[in-house]
Amino acid sequence: MASGDEEATQAFYALYEALDDLLRGKGTQKMNGLWHHADYVTSSHPFGDWARGWAEVWATWEEGAAVWSVYRGHAERTDRIGGIHGLRVALRGDTAYGTSVFRSKLYMTEGELDLKVNCTDVVHRIDGVWKVVHHHADQAPPAWQARIGQMVQLGHS
Amino acid sequence: MPTGDVSSTENEAGGFRVAITPTLLSVYAWGYWSPEVADAFTREATAIGQKLMRVSAFAVDAAEMKPQGTEGQEALRVLFKVLATMNVAKGTLLANNVFTKMQIVRLLRECGLDQRVSSNT
Repeated sequence: MASGDEEATQAFYALYEALDDLLRGKGTQKMNGLWHHADYVTSSHPFGDWARGWAEVWATWEEGAAVWSVYRGHAERTDRIGGIHGLRVALRGDTAYGTSVFRSKLYMTEGELDLKVNCTDVVHRIDGVWKVVHHHADQAPPAWQARIGQMVQLGHS
Repeated sequence: MPTGDVSSTENEAGGFRVAITPTLLSVYAWGYWSPEVADAFTREATAIGQKLMRVSAFAVDAAEMKPQGTEGQEALRVLFKVLATMNVAKGTLLANNVFTKMQIVRLLRECGLDQRVSSNT
């Protein structure tokens, strides 16, 4: 049987696996299932402001999926779009928080677009299941945000 | 906001105000729209088509708006589809939240209105 530490660590990695699915156009179902659907959950992504409460948080993940639905750079790639590195987990009872560095690589028409941001995530053990209640990533550099905005405007990557 | 024909709906999470002058449609939107606010906006957007015979421009101030869920997006689509069928020459979009701007730009593109809109952040 896995320890609380191990289970919480798995929950953090599952969050970023769900993000990779979302970016690859594989849907948001996995992401939906990982989160606690409550009024106190919060998120902030590499662009945009705070989302507070499940309705707002979920809107940002769905919009993320919509934004990346026009990205075509992953069509023939076999490596992950992104993932976390150096995850450190602190467990306190039924709460755990994890700090990590998220790195991603996007293949745009003009070349690679890299991102490296610090992330903090919090999971709660609710009825024996670790659920995400908080996700925060640093704001991406303005140039990266502008390039993603351009992708949305153009309707292709 | 210009004066003229004005309507608004809001709750603690978000809302909108729509003002129509003889030449300009102005939409000020903020927060996160509940299904009830989104429904009110849909009704307003549907009625707008009958009020805008001479309007030549529109402005969407979404500086304080958050990315919307399904209902809010559908309400905005109703407005953009109405505007896309009308002889409205140009529009402006103000959005401070990059996520919100991306969402509205996407909806404008889906509705065939993106070429008429300039955005300011």
